[in-house]
Amino acid sequence: MKPADRRRLAAWLAVITVAAVCIALRGRAPWLLDLPPAFVVPVADWFNAFMVWFIGAFKWLFRAANWLLGWPLAGAQALLQWLPWPATMAAFCALAFAASGWKLALFAAAALFYMALTGHWSPSMNTLGSVLVSIPLALAAGFALGVAAHRSKRVDRVVQPLLDLMQTVPTFAYLIPILLLFGFGPVVGVVASAIYACPPMVRNTLLGLRRVPREALESGLICGATGPQLFWWVQAPSALPALMVGVNQTTMAALSMVIIAAIIGGSADIGWEVLSTMRKAQFGQSLLAGIVIALIAMLLDRISWGFADRAGRGAAAAGRSRNHGRGGRGGRGHGRHGRLKPWLLTLIALAIFAGATAFIPAARVYPEAWVFYPADAINAALRFVTANYSAATDAVKHAALFYYLLPLKIGLSQAVTPFSWGVALTPGLVWGYAAAVGVIAWRLFAWRGWRPAVAAVVGGGVLYFGVTGLPWPPFILASTLLAWQVGGRRVALLSAGGWAFMLLTGVWAQAMLSVYLCAAAVLVCALGGGALGVWASANRRVSNFLRPINDTLQSMPLFVILIPFLMFFQIGEFTSFLAIIAYAIVPTIRYTEHGLRHVPAASVEAAIAMGCTRRQLLWEVKMPLALPEIMLGVNQTVLFALAMLVITALVGSRGLGQSVYIALSNADPGLGLVAGLGIALIAIIADRIIQAWSARRKSTLGIA
Amino acid sequence: MKPKNLLPALLALGLVAGAQGAVPESDEPIKLALNEWTGQHITTRVAGEILKRMGYTVEYVTAGYYPQMQALEDNTISATLEIWSSNIGEHYDKALASGNVVELGDLGLQPVETWLYNRAAARDCPGLPDYRALNDCAQVFANAETFPKGRLVDYPADWGTSNVDRLKAFNLNYTSVPAGSEGALIAEIQGAETKGEPLLVMFWSPHWVHAVADLTPVSLPPFEAGCHDDPAVGVNPNATWDCDWARGYIKKMAWAGLAGQWPAASKLLTAYQLRNADQIPMMNAIDQEGGKLEEVVDAWLDANRAIWQPWVDAAMR
Repeated sequence: MKPADRRRLAAWLAVITVAAVCIALRGRAPWLLDLPPAFVVPVADWFNAFMVWFIGAFKWLFRAANWLLGWPLAGAQALLQWLPWPATMAAFCALAFAASGWKLALFAAAALFYMALTGHWSPSMNTLGSVLVSIPLALAAGFALGVAAHRSKRVDRVVQPLLDLMQTVPTFAYLIPILLLFGFGPVVGVVASAIYACPPMVRNTLLGLRRVPREALESGLICGATGPQLFWWVQAPSALPALMVGVNQTTMAALSMVIIAAIIGGSADIGWEVLSTMRKAQFGQSLLAGIVIALIAMLLDRISWGFADRAGRGAAAAGRSRNHGRGGRGGRGHGRHGRLKPWLLTLIALAIFAGATAFIPAARVYPEAWVFYPADAINAALRFVTANYSAATDAVKHAALFYYLLPLKIGLSQAVTPFSWGVALTPGLVWGYAAAVGVIAWRLFAWRGWRPAVAAVVGGGVLYFGVTGLPWPPFILASTLLAWQVGGRRVALLSAGGWAFMLLTGVWAQAMLSVYLCAAAVLVCALGGGALGVWASANRRVSNFLRPINDTLQSMPLFVILIPFLMFFQIGEFTSFLAIIAYAIVPTIRYTEHGLRHVPAASVEAAIAMGCTRRQLLWEVKMPLALPEIMLGVNQTVLFALAMLVITALVGSRGLGQSVYIALSNADPGLGLVAGLGIALIAIIADRIIQAWSARRKSTLGIA
Repeated sequence: MKPKNLLPALLALGLVAGAQGAVPESDEPIKLALNEWTGQHITTRVAGEILKRMGYTVEYVTAGYYPQMQALEDNTISATLEIWSSNIGEHYDKALASGNVVELGDLGLQPVETWLYNRAAARDCPGLPDYRALNDCAQVFANAETFPKGRLVDYPADWGTSNVDRLKAFNLNYTSVPAGSEGALIAEIQGAETKGEPLLVMFWSPHWVHAVADLTPVSLPPFEAGCHDDPAVGVNPNATWDCDWARGYIKKMAWAGLAGQWPAASKLLTAYQLRNADQIPMMNAIDQEGGKLEEVVDAWLDANRAIWQPWVDAAMR
């Protein structure tokens, strides 16, 4: 063992010792589990006091902005409400056709017809109208910030951490401050969605501008281009593909906020429809309305992706890979630029024709008699299932709770009882468990070195005492040590500071509940998603089968995902757990498949030439090489899981998400912000550690 | 009244008299808040339609229950008509303290909030409705997450419930399990109903779910003033919260400028009352029989002119 390794191992052994001591003492010193209220720093109160001052001083400014934004919003919504539905439909078909081809145009027609058919036309148009304002707002702000950050290093240094916060602090947390500043109205939702949706645009603008080839810039300068000319005629066009990717991602982010923004109210949109029916437990109704949001999301996603794809092809600079997280989608049906124009004209003519139908009442407003609204049938079917299959769903729920979730949460030491496991936890069993952990650690040590052995001991300890039963000193120490060894001093400082913030602001207990629930879900996502990814990488048919499912899950707004699980498993942690998995598993599947498919061909051929079996090829060659990529997928999964936390608070999960939600209803922006920052910090710490690990691993493997 | 004030007062009287029949006093629409639940939609729509029949322009604005308080302060919403004293929290005080929001008195709806049990529970725990029977029935209400304790499905944590203290004060071996939302509560009630499982739940009336599930209140020791803070009051000499929930009230609230801008409308909304016996049948007609809000309310208004016409007459006077 190298001396450096020996030092690292010694550090871990020290942490484990500290943990053992703290756990032994925690009964006598409860402050080891959570700081007493006397030590809590009232950051929330300070923030509230600041808000009072800030609102008093700057309210007029934001109210003016509200008034200003109100105009385009009211205009867009009024226009969409006024247009006859066949006209809107034709316009979207034309747009979809121009973006990608007749398949998408058909999808557009079907999606819009669904809105009319189920009687959701008017709220859907209100939602579209507000999205039509919030997306350009986010795009403009994102583009401007991106350009500013590209031009000035100083701006960049401020913007980067801000972007992390904007994407990880749950929107719920800043909904109340925005409401207080801007005043009530649909504009609040628009602003909140724009804040959440603008970071991808900033990031992609930066990326695109950085990748502008030197030669292009120089030839621009040689031709005597002035500053603005250089920017608009050289830099912006060659950054276009990246910009379009940003447009696509921002669009999706804005749509995912539709329901959250509806919490404020102010316009009768589809988010309000979902929210209020869900609150009434009208599952059929909320599902039918939720599908509308999913359809709008998918439609705008495909349309903007179509244009992004086209921009990518159009740009001469080849090899500008698109975001591989969604690789291999929507490829066919392009390259008909030449033939496009007449088609477009035809469709525009069709739109004008549809406009002319404004004088036919049934074309003006979709007649109520044609509405097909099977909510009651869905509800009846659901009642049938819950009445007849409750034994099965309960069995699944109990098994997951007793054998997985509860041990992680409160530890085997409390979860193993005759009621749950059928056996009492005797000292013999405890020693047996300890011995098993020891043997596993020893075998791992002999097989792969000290790292997995330490991981086994730590994991065994966590499983025995439970995440919520861990004292904070060893938890912070372990996280910081890991951060330090993987990412160096800066990541370690971030970890120590982040956890200390949660401890000192008095949200530690909630943070641990959130960590537990996310960890439980991420573990399942990593194993299950990894397995699916491996399978998909080996089998085209599986891959083709999974892709649309993944696309749907990702473009489905978070709330809608909750509905089906709520139907079968009622409120509680298990429902939250499933909803988190459904949303967060996708990146792991995608990155695993992508990573395995893009292992350097030379390595694979060499392995085959050496006579590797298929299993050896996978586990000894492909897996290690793809692991850094897979971990980036797991990283995304962690971020997605944390983003879902606030939403699952609506169905009874506890922790930071619930705190954010409570703050919302108590008009306590300070508490909301502290809890929201807590979620953001957990996300950022996990992100930095995993990114650092992946980067190091890649450079070791020489595939950076 | 001092003579100095007499003249303006007389003038004002004269103006009012002159303005009679001049409803609406302002062409701006009166904006009424539509919150998330059916009962509130009925309450609002009944008032709004009466205002329309008086000649006002009325706009219904969807608004979150808490965010609407912000809207009342600056007349983005002119009035909201169903504020439950039990779950408005600090928003209510903050809004009134701002000076821009006023109360328009009680709506007249009688809310009841307490612990309720379903028919399966009555079958399996024959000692009910007496709360003292609950301890012997803990197993009946227990589930995997709460065993061996019984399970009380509680209000969402953010509604600020006091049932944890209450369970302790009554020495009941039950755990309070907060539901995440109203929908989650209803899902529990409906689920228990379809499965025929016993359920003990914190809930309220008037609510449409009472039409689907037969829920009976547990008879807790009645509420006494002081029982929440004074251990001496109530059945348990050593604990607070040892009594039933206080019977709450439901308020109407408005933007402070309402009476100035639309005097007659303000008078009408102040006089406006809706009883349980009016709201519950309408609620069932909408949520259970699939009726349309507009039609149900119009039918009620046509059939009950005797109830609301006097308010209009008084307001126009």
